[in-house]
Amino acid sequence: MDKLQSIFRTEAEELLLDLERALLNFETDLSNLSAIQEIFRVMHTLKGSASMFGFESLSAFTHDLETIYDAIRSGTMAASPEILEVTLESLDHIKELIGDPQVADQGNASRHTELLAKIHALLTADPKPITNYGPSKTAMVSTYYVFCKPARSIFSNGTNPLYLIDDLAQLGQTWVLPTLNEVPPIQSIESNLCYTAFEIILATAESMDNIREVFLFVEDSCEIVIKRLSEQDLFSNAEFSQRLKQVDVYSAGFAPIGFDSFLSFTPTEKKDSQKSKESPGNKDRKETSTIRVSSDKLDELMNLVSELVTSQARLSLLTEQHGLADLTGVAETMEKLTRRLRDNAFNICLVPIESLVVRFQRLVRDLSKELGKEIDFVAEGTETELDRSIIEKVTDPILHILRNAIDHGIEAGSARVANGKNKKGTIRFKAYHSGTNVFIQISDDGKGIDAGTIRKKAIEKGLITADAELSEKEILNLIFAPGFSTAERISDVSGRGVGMDIVKRNIESIHGEVSVESEVGSGTVMTIKLPLTLSILDGMLVQIGQAKYLLPLSSIQTCYEIESACVSADVAQKHAFNGELLPVFNLHAAFHCAHQRNKITQVIKVNYDQFPVGIVVDGIIGEYQAVMKPLGDLYKDHDEFSGATILGDGSVALVLDTSTLIRQLIKNETVRNN
Amino acid sequence: MKQYVTINMETSTLQSQSYLTFRLNDEIFAAGVDKVLEILEIPKITNVPRSPEYMRGVINLRGNVLPVIDTRKKFGLQPVPDSVNTCIIVMNLVIDGQPISIGAIVDAVQEVMEINPDTVQPAPSVGSKYKAEFIEGMIRFNDQFIMMLNLDMVFSNEDMVILNQLSESKN
Repeated sequence: MDKLQSIFRTEAEELLLDLERALLNFETDLSNLSAIQEIFRVMHTLKGSASMFGFESLSAFTHDLETIYDAIRSGTMAASPEILEVTLESLDHIKELIGDPQVADQGNASRHTELLAKIHALLTADPKPITNYGPSKTAMVSTYYVFCKPARSIFSNGTNPLYLIDDLAQLGQTWVLPTLNEVPPIQSIESNLCYTAFEIILATAESMDNIREVFLFVEDSCEIVIKRLSEQDLFSNAEFSQRLKQVDVYSAGFAPIGFDSFLSFTPTEKKDSQKSKESPGNKDRKETSTIRVSSDKLDELMNLVSELVTSQARLSLLTEQHGLADLTGVAETMEKLTRRLRDNAFNICLVPIESLVVRFQRLVRDLSKELGKEIDFVAEGTETELDRSIIEKVTDPILHILRNAIDHGIEAGSARVANGKNKKGTIRFKAYHSGTNVFIQISDDGKGIDAGTIRKKAIEKGLITADAELSEKEILNLIFAPGFSTAERISDVSGRGVGMDIVKRNIESIHGEVSVESEVGSGTVMTIKLPLTLSILDGMLVQIGQAKYLLPLSSIQTCYEIESACVSADVAQKHAFNGELLPVFNLHAAFHCAHQRNKITQVIKVNYDQFPVGIVVDGIIGEYQAVMKPLGDLYKDHDEFSGATILGDGSVALVLDTSTLIRQLIKNETVRNN
Repeated sequence: MKQYVTINMETSTLQSQSYLTFRLNDEIFAAGVDKVLEILEIPKITNVPRSPEYMRGVINLRGNVLPVIDTRKKFGLQPVPDSVNTCIIVMNLVIDGQPISIGAIVDAVQEVMEINPDTVQPAPSVGSKYKAEFIEGMIRFNDQFIMMLNLDMVFSNEDMVILNQLSESKN
């Protein structure tokens, strides 16, 4: 039972996401018929599966909610912002109900009754029938010609063809004409045989497949013809109705009139010009065939692929050593296959960012209402895909950035008008691929961040000295420093003690970067740079002492060679490269390696927060594509190592997180010097 | 039927339990076999720089990274070079409520022995070489005491000193 309920929970979560999306769509355009259809459809499915899996109160609750949308759909009730408000509240409540099916929680119970009362109030409110759904509804109705000729023996398996006609009549408006030309003279009629066929004109919104479904069980014993006569409701066409009345069955000896004759009844003008107005993109998205796979299975697949990649590296190494021509061929093929398999497997774990956007949209909507600001949320590039685990970890930072933008970024409406801006603020969410990274940009057209204020605050808090010379960009990025909060007072919205430094740290924990640009008066842009996946790292393998380490390739700028004699045994030192003085850290010393050094030492110039830093390693082995393995909880304090990887020879190499390592080394140096 | 099951369970808990014994210096310790996954020879160990001295490093255990602890150093014993008998006991522990796998380097693995709970004596609270909270109990075997370790405790505390005498000698 628990298993079934968890199936329902995953399904419901998905449905609720669809529902939320449709509701937010609907809010932007209250006359959007396809949104109502979608809302109704999702609610209906939710209701059905809820009662199937024993979530009775949820099912009953959804039923009441659904009734409202049924009324809206059929035009007996007008959609209003109040209805939407209640629906969104109910949606949040439904989310709670999924976790608390018995409504056992006190808060949930009182909320339950409160919302039910609201829903009933809406339902019993003075119905204001509105007609603007009328025409668009009939626009979706098509008219079909159905010819059904049951086999003679159809009665013998208990089928009554009239029931089939009844079923058809359920689908929409029908006009039925029996075809009697095969009925023999009365004396030769055999009472257990069927001689009648039917011609039906059916106007319905259902698809051709759904019509065919009526005949699902008699397909073999009936001759069925279903053809589309028109993409409109022909019964509403006066000319067509007139022609139907004049059908002269007698003259034809009760023979079927046939599709073509009916087709000639149809008015020829503007046959299907109206129909194709529905957004086709929406439909395509729905029709992508997908299967649901538990994330455990995906993790297992990823693990296996990772191990395969590791063994492959080993195989390549062995092949190289033995130099057998036959083996080399096979090994190369294997390598190609492994690479493709790996890329494929990683691709499977990518999720479009779209799944997050609904949450962001909702946050902007709710929060702007709460703060009395008018804000448009525009999302672009939502089809951009990211690793599932990255998406999970990037959500909170983005929510925080959005909260900041709404609370501190966008001004109140009156202030905006006074500054000559549009009264409505805009928050733009943009995601895009660039190389092996995904960028997420969140920009607002609010008041921007004043570098002067930031500088003052930073000096106040002792983050920088009063005479520090910083570029404007450096000053702006101080907002990510720990212990910095620009909010003048702590509001309910942002400034709950979770500052931008947490945002930065969270993003860095998934090998991402965040930066800010801002212009006073015209807005702020936050840019988050993320890797595509966490489990594969393009790195450079280096030797330090006796051990091998991996540096992320993304952080490396240049490599220099210098004579080992020039490098002192100190951890921190300075060297000039290309006329530029570079702070250099000697990792050989920092890691306390006793190993004798080579004659030539490599200095790798890597990106650090605002300036490049050199690190001394004993040798560079080459580029290496590493499968990241966690170091485990025992090493959780050693975050200068973001993980480990298994090399071709089976040994373990540690992966260096250069930013964290350098930060720690700088800290150690300052402590030592004081 | 129900009664039968309970009786059976009770007898099984009363029955002797299996312990893996291993040697450090001249002392013999016992670890419950339910915690032990496997025993490995010493492979190539990758040192993690700037970690506590008793953390010898990490090894590749069939594609996963396993941290390895030098039990001698952890226990405050004099280090000795690895010998042919030196090996790693891979254990599944629960530390801070989290399941975790670690490897512990010991001088030698002895045997798996059945220990009848009735013969287990409580660890002496005074005069013992080891702190009481790390010892579940001890048993006499061939004129020698075998210390039964509380493995979760032993490996959870980062800077714990398991030896009483070490802290006492400092005072």
